[in-house]
Amino acid sequence: MTVAVAPSLISGIYQGRIAHTRFWLYLGLIAGTLALAFFGGNGYDEDGYLQRLLSMQGVIWGGVGAVVGVAASFLLGNSKSSGGASPAVTNTVPWIDGLLLMTLLMALFTLLEPHQALISYEDQSNLISGRIVMAMNLLFLFSAVCYIMHLFAPESFIGKMATMAAWGGVYAGGTSLLLRWYESYLFLDGDIGHAPVSNLYEVFILLFCVTSSIYLTFERRYQAKAMGAFVMVLVSAGVFFGVWLDSIGQADIKPLVPALQSYWMKIHVPLNFVGYGAFAVACAAGMAWLVRERLERRGSSPMLKVFPSLDQLDQLAYKAVAIGFPAFTLATILGAAWAAEAWGGYWSWDPKETWALIVWLFYGAYLHVRVSHGWSGKTLAVWAVVGFLVTLFCFVGVNMYLSGLHSYGRLA
Amino acid sequence: MSYYRESIKPLFLRMASMPLAIVLLMVLAIASVIGTVLLQNQEHADYLNQFGPVWYWVFRSMGLFDMYHAWWFIGLLGFLMVTLSFCLWHNVPRMLKEMRSRKITLAEHAWKRMQHTHELSLPEMDMNVVIERVEKVAGWKWLSYQEEGRTYLRGDKGRYHKWGYILVHSALLIVLIGGWMSVQFGFRGNMAVPEGGMESQISYVKGTGVESLDMPFEVRCNNFEIDFFPTGAPKEFRSNLTIIDQGKEVVTSDIIVNEPLFYKGVRIYQASFGDGGSKVELKLFRLDGSKRIDVAKGEVYKTYTDSESGISMEITDFKPFNVENMAAPGQAKKFQDIGPAVDFILRGPGLKPVKVRSFMNPFMVDGQNQGSLIMVSLSGDNRDFQSFFLGPDLTNPKEWDLFHAFGQKASGVSDGGSVEAFKAAVREVYGEKMPEDIQDLGIRTLQGVNSLSSLPWPFVPVLDDFDQVYYTGLQLARDPGMNVVWVGSALLTFGLCIMLYVSHRKVWLVVEAQDKGMRVRVAGLANRNLMAFDREFNDLLRELDDNLGLSKQGESA
Repeated sequence: MTVAVAPSLISGIYQGRIAHTRFWLYLGLIAGTLALAFFGGNGYDEDGYLQRLLSMQGVIWGGVGAVVGVAASFLLGNSKSSGGASPAVTNTVPWIDGLLLMTLLMALFTLLEPHQALISYEDQSNLISGRIVMAMNLLFLFSAVCYIMHLFAPESFIGKMATMAAWGGVYAGGTSLLLRWYESYLFLDGDIGHAPVSNLYEVFILLFCVTSSIYLTFERRYQAKAMGAFVMVLVSAGVFFGVWLDSIGQADIKPLVPALQSYWMKIHVPLNFVGYGAFAVACAAGMAWLVRERLERRGSSPMLKVFPSLDQLDQLAYKAVAIGFPAFTLATILGAAWAAEAWGGYWSWDPKETWALIVWLFYGAYLHVRVSHGWSGKTLAVWAVVGFLVTLFCFVGVNMYLSGLHSYGRLA
Repeated sequence: MSYYRESIKPLFLRMASMPLAIVLLMVLAIASVIGTVLLQNQEHADYLNQFGPVWYWVFRSMGLFDMYHAWWFIGLLGFLMVTLSFCLWHNVPRMLKEMRSRKITLAEHAWKRMQHTHELSLPEMDMNVVIERVEKVAGWKWLSYQEEGRTYLRGDKGRYHKWGYILVHSALLIVLIGGWMSVQFGFRGNMAVPEGGMESQISYVKGTGVESLDMPFEVRCNNFEIDFFPTGAPKEFRSNLTIIDQGKEVVTSDIIVNEPLFYKGVRIYQASFGDGGSKVELKLFRLDGSKRIDVAKGEVYKTYTDSESGISMEITDFKPFNVENMAAPGQAKKFQDIGPAVDFILRGPGLKPVKVRSFMNPFMVDGQNQGSLIMVSLSGDNRDFQSFFLGPDLTNPKEWDLFHAFGQKASGVSDGGSVEAFKAAVREVYGEKMPEDIQDLGIRTLQGVNSLSSLPWPFVPVLDDFDQVYYTGLQLARDPGMNVVWVGSALLTFGLCIMLYVSHRKVWLVVEAQDKGMRVRVAGLANRNLMAFDREFNDLLRELDDNLGLSKQGESA
């Protein structure tokens, strides 16, 4: 993100002993808090877990985990002595760092929350998260504009601004979601508190963040900045949809129906959105491929220098699907596990389930076409774009047009 | 149009020549869409109504009303299983053989295929020392072979990546088998048990009909409770159940949504709830001027008939809470519970049947009594309920008296005299001590004269007392295929990760004598993620330099 400002300092913390120790520290923390969930007190208690986590008990369990983690990091040693860290470390640590930073920002923003008297279930307009979502919207729109300008002026600082605005949007979005989690406990005696993945508005914010951060990771690793214009235009379209949802009163925090009051929601929904977000990035790569191919056929265009090559775009689309497909598969499986627990059957041919299967079959076919039969080029680019349209229908269309067991995702 | 020709058409052309697996996946995907657009398992009459006789018969003959169990859809899934089995049969032996046999030597012409090549020269070093030191490079699985004075060393990473393919495809087969087992040997159905009642039979939808099945035990519902959020939305449904097996009480436990009970291979889920026949008492305020109040004792799902007027009330539902948004449209929402209410369909000689919702408590706004309330739906649909304010608070006997006293005093009096008549009526009912809310009382009484006389019925039914009984809606399921599906799912996820993230990386070293020392040629090949392999190959070269003692020379040079 700020690599340009202080490359050595920033990249330094993702390497060597510091990253290695931090990796194990995080692992220990996660193991400690998970152990608290399963073995602390009388097993897992959905409502009381957060309180328990923030109490002395949580500090002890988490602390023990952290200490064990750090000890393990020294015992197991650094596998790569020569500067670089192992892929497991470099692929996880920055994400957990980011989450921690978001949590920290969330904690800071809670201090700016208006007086209790100004907050009520009926009127949620004073909550600070709404303002941060607005900031996120502006940042994403600004970033989209900058990425498009970058196509025409690749040498200027606009490209850097685009990247920075996109990262800003990701952090604003993540922070606002965490804040909504906190805010859901602020009224009705904290009775309706729940994770911020319960309605279309919230998951849209999640989708923006996931899509953008997957793209930004690609941008840094594979220097594919021209693709940003396509990703961010998709995200911006979503931003407008989110604003519309807000305007019709769909942004309010509402109590959860009993079927959703389960820890499965916190696993199933975000994992699904890793899938959706990755497919969105694949779609953007496919669109970039089609545009570049058109430009190439027209002859030389200055823009060709900005675009990654057709082959690279093809690779990027595949990489995105390779992230999204296993995540989506696992999310669907976990959804089935939840359904088995809540509805009495792991598969009911409910419209949402069926459409998830359709999406899965679609990308399954994509992988067959690509891996087993070695196709590439236009067919795959079109496939990635159409695949995302199918995904979009599964995500939004089913909620809006079809009824079924997932009907709590409907607009009220 | 040109876009069609350029990008969609090749896609279609490709489709036509596509291999079987891809066509099958796409056909399954497209077929699955139908069942999500066409509502499944509805009443035949509704379908006939919706599509007309021709399409109804076409759809019916194709089994589209229960599509996911239609012969052709099951056939498609079966065909998928056959294809999967064939793929595995065809590929697994070959892949296992490939993974086992690693060719150590490298023919000279194969060097051209290599993504990376490199050459080292080692003066004054023995062949065996070189081999020993190369094999010390960690992370690679080394094999060596000597031939014609050369030594070939082969290193592998991610050698087992083909297990990804094998795992994924066999996992899908396992999931499908598990699904078949669930359908073949399992069941899933619903039962409704009233509080205090017992039930041993479930009913389930088969095709477009309903069938029932006896359970090997009985379920008794001891108690059912609902917790509400302050907004009126339900927070928790909780049933206390006892399982009775051959006359003996074996298990007693609470279940809530997401936390089922397990007994004898059957899971019992909290699915829904409803009124299980609550006992209700209504007061019938006669409107013939006689001031009489009769009591009607009824039960939900039963019909009470008033013998005097011949009017019947078919009681359909009872709710102890009715939370409504009391704010005017456009203003911030304000939820308020307006108390218990009973729903019934009122029929009688010469009357149009209507649905009535009668509330037990008077309607209060900001602590102000607005009198008794009923709602009437002319269509019988709950969405069409319209509020009807009766005027007096009929839970207060004095207001009923006042209504009649005023009626007597005001009859024959002109408009101007009604205030006097009201005052006289208040004195008659309340004595000299005037009630505090006399103004409201006046408005309500006047309203009562208008509204009560406009009712077409000879009495006003007002809910007076209730003894609530719920039924709990349970879902019972046995699923012998479920664990098979979970095993398959775990293998699927694991296999996908191997398939998509593990690449098979191969390096060869050819060591041969050159002058006094050795010449080492290195070559590398990977099947995916070439960018990561670039780095890895360079790491390998660096480690080779270290191990073979070349890095020091490099530094000093």
